Amino acid sequence: MSEPELERYRADVRAWAKDNLPPRTRDSMRRRTADKIPAAQIAEGRALQRKVFEAGYLGITLPVEYGGQGLTAEHERIWYEESAAYAVPVAAGVATMVTLGIVLPTVLAHGSEEQKRDWIPKMLSGEETWAQLLSEPAAGSDLAGLRTRATRDGDQWVINGAKVWSSGADMADFGICLARTDWEVPKHRGLTWFKVPLNDSRVTVRPIKEINGSAAFCEEFLDDVIVGDEMVIGAVNGGWPIANTLLAYERAGGSHGGHGIIPSAEASRGPGMSRRLPADLVALAHARGLENDPATRQLIARAHINDYMQAQLADRVTQLARSGKANPAVASLLKLGIGEVQPHRAQLAMEVAGRAGIAWDADDENAGATALNYLSGRVMSIGGGSDQIQRNIIAERLLGLPREPSFDTDKPFREVLQNAKQWR
Amino acid sequence: MQLEVTEDQELLRDTTERFIEAEMPVETVRSLHDDPAGFRRDWWEKCAGLGWFAMLVPEEHGGGSVSGAGLIDAAMIAEELGRRVQPGPFIPVNVVASAVAELGTAEQKDELLPSLAGGETVAAWAFASLDGGWDAGAGLSAIRTGEGFRLTGSRGYVQDAQSADLLLVAAELDGAPAQFLVPADAAGVRQRPLTCLDLSRRMSHLEFEYVTLPAGALLGEAGATTALERQLQVAVVLNTAETIGAMDALFSMTVQYAKDRIAFGRPIGSFQALKHIMADQAMYLETSKAGAAAAARAVQDGTADAAEVVSMVAAYIGDMSDELAQMALQIHGGIGYTWEHDLHLFMRRIRGNAALYGEPTWHRERVCAFHRLGERGQA
Repeated sequence: MSEPELERYRADVRAWAKDNLPPRTRDSMRRRTADKIPAAQIAEGRALQRKVFEAGYLGITLPVEYGGQGLTAEHERIWYEESAAYAVPVAAGVATMVTLGIVLPTVLAHGSEEQKRDWIPKMLSGEETWAQLLSEPAAGSDLAGLRTRATRDGDQWVINGAKVWSSGADMADFGICLARTDWEVPKHRGLTWFKVPLNDSRVTVRPIKEINGSAAFCEEFLDDVIVGDEMVIGAVNGGWPIANTLLAYERAGGSHGGHGIIPSAEASRGPGMSRRLPADLVALAHARGLENDPATRQLIARAHINDYMQAQLADRVTQLARSGKANPAVASLLKLGIGEVQPHRAQLAMEVAGRAGIAWDADDENAGATALNYLSGRVMSIGGGSDQIQRNIIAERLLGLPREPSFDTDKPFREVLQNAKQWR
Repeated sequence: MQLEVTEDQELLRDTTERFIEAEMPVETVRSLHDDPAGFRRDWWEKCAGLGWFAMLVPEEHGGGSVSGAGLIDAAMIAEELGRRVQPGPFIPVNVVASAVAELGTAEQKDELLPSLAGGETVAAWAFASLDGGWDAGAGLSAIRTGEGFRLTGSRGYVQDAQSADLLLVAAELDGAPAQFLVPADAAGVRQRPLTCLDLSRRMSHLEFEYVTLPAGALLGEAGATTALERQLQVAVVLNTAETIGAMDALFSMTVQYAKDRIAFGRPIGSFQALKHIMADQAMYLETSKAGAAAAARAVQDGTADAAEVVSMVAAYIGDMSDELAQMALQIHGGIGYTWEHDLHLFMRRIRGNAALYGEPTWHRERVCAFHRLGERGQA
C-alpha cells in the first residue's frame, strides 16, 4: 500500500468522522458498556452503526463478498486512530461487541459460504446482534462437559437445555449455541454449533444479578427450540475445534473488543494525546490530602504502570495474533494479564481511598465508583475462562508442558457422568 | 524483544549468538568470576569488531548500525548478553559513546569515538552519589581554574571503573550539573573496588582529590540536566533489554527442567501447582518484552513521553524479573540452590540490573513527578 494512498484514506476518514460521528464523552463511554440499554437508544445506535457500515468503516479488512471493504490492517488502524475521539456506535453495547469481536470472526473461519454471505453483512450493519450460549449451570471451566442436547427430529434439530453467563443476550437477536449431539462418544467429539433465535417463544432469557448489583449477563432456558440444518455452523459433532477458535477471540477480546472495538484508554490514546495518571486515584488521594504522601504516590504509580504495561501486552498479543504465525494460545497471556491486573487495580484504589471506599456521601461519585469497581473489577478473573483455565492453556498449549492425567477425555460422555458419581 | 525484525537485524542476532557461544559461554564466564577485571581486553576488542560499541556512534566517526536505529540494534545485542550473563561494560561504554556523539566538540569526537567504537578505549559512566542516589552531580564539585577545572568529591557504584581508561563523571559546576571526561589514571582519582552480588560485574566507588582537568574535559554545556536524563534513558533501555535476555534464558531453563524432572511417577511439569507458576512467568515475561520493546522505540525516536515510558518499564521489569527468578528457583527446588547450577548467575544479574539504574520505587516516584502529582496545576 503506497504512503500517499493511505494518507488520502486518512484524510477521508477524518473528514467523514468529523461530519458524521458525535464526539466521545464520558457519557458516551458509559453508555456503550451499560448493562441494559433502553430500546430507543439501541435503535438510535443501530441507525448510526448502519451509517458507519454503509460508509465502509465497519469490516474494513473483511472480504467484499461478506460486506467488508477488503482493505489492509493499516487502513483499519487509521480508522481506529482517526475515530478515537468520537463516539463510535456500539448499538447494543456488549452484545454488539460480542457479535463483531467474537461471533463474526468465528463464522468467518468456520461458517459455510452461504452463511458468511448471508449473516456477516447483517452483523456489520447492526441488523442482527448475537450472544454466546456457551457455559451452563453445570459446565463452566469444563465447557466440553456441557449437557444441552440437540436431537435429530426428521430434517430438523430440537434443542433443550440451560445456558448461563451470556453477555448481552437480552439485547441480542440470535445466540451461537454449543450443544451435545452425541452422548456415546468422548465429550469433545459429540458437540455441534447452532445459530438459535432468541426472540422465540421457546427461549426464555433472564438477566442475572451480579455481586455489584448490575446485570450484564443472562441465563437462557431452551425448551424444544427447533432449528433447521442451515443453522448448523461447521460439521455435526465437529464443534470443539470451532469452540477453540471462538474462545481465543473471546480471550483476545477481553480488553480490546476483538477487532479493536473497545481499545483500553492507553491503547486508544492517539499520537500526541498526553497520558494522565489514573484520574480516579488522583482524586481519591486529593480528597484525603495525600498527593504528596510517598506511600500513596507509590500506589498511584503502580496502578498507572500496570495499566500501561497491560496495554503494551495487549498490543503485542494483538500483533502476534494478526501475524498469523503465533500460537493462538497467546490470547490467554492477555486474558490472564487482565485477570490479574484488574482486581489488583481495584484493590490499589481501595487502599488509596481508605475509609472513603467503604462509606461515602451519596453525591461522592468517585468514592462510590471505587467501591463498585472493587467488586466489578473481578469479572475478568473469572469471565471468559478463569485465571486458572488460562494458566492451563498457557502451560499446555504455549509452553508444551505435559497434561494432567485425564479421567474423561477417552470415555463416552454418558459413562463419564455415571463414573463421576462413584468418585471417592 | 521487538516483534518486527529486519533480515539484517536477524543476521546481527545470529552472529552475536554464535560469537558469544564460541568466545564466552557460561563456563568461561564462570572462569572469570575471580578475575579482578572480569574480562580480557583481547576479547573486548573482538566484541568491538562486531560493532557492539559503534551503534550509537555516527558513521563519520567509525560508527554505524545495521538498521539505522542504533539503540534498537544495541538493545538486541544487550538481550543476547543477558541471555548468557556476559561480563564487561557494554552499557556504560555505549552510554558514554552516545553522550560524546551527541554533546562532544569536534576534537572530543575525533579523539574518543573511533577508539571507543574500536574497543581500544574502555569507558565508565559515573553518575551516582556514594549512597547510590541519582544526584545530578551534587556529590562531586567542580570549580573553574585558570586552565580548566578542578574536581573534588566522589562518585559511587561506578561499573567497571577497574578496567576503564576514561570516566564520564557527573559533577556540579556553578550550582548546576555538568559532565567531565576524566582519564581514569588522572592524578587524584582513587578507586575503592566493591564486592558485587553479580559475580560477572565489577564496581567501584571513586574519590576525587583535587583532580585538575584541562578546559577540553568538559562535555557539552554546563547545565547538563537534559543530557543526563538522555543518558539515563539509553542506559535503562539497554539494561532492561539485558534483563529480558536473562529472564528468557532462566525461564526456558525452568520449563525444560519441569519437562525433564520426574517425581511421583510423572514429569513435574504436569502438576498444575507448578504449571500455573510457569504460566504466570510466561505472562510476566511477555509483558516485560512488550514494555522493553516500547521503551527502546520511545528513546530511539525521542518521543515526548520517553522519560516516563522508560521509568514505567524499568519499574515493572525490575519487580517482575525478580519475581520470575524466585519462581524459577521454586520450580528447580534444591538443585537451583546450588553453586554449580547456573540459576544463581541469572538471579544475581537480574537483581543487579533491577538496582543499577534506579530501583523500581525510585522509578515509580519519577512517574508521579513527571505528572507533577501534588504540585499546583498538576497534569
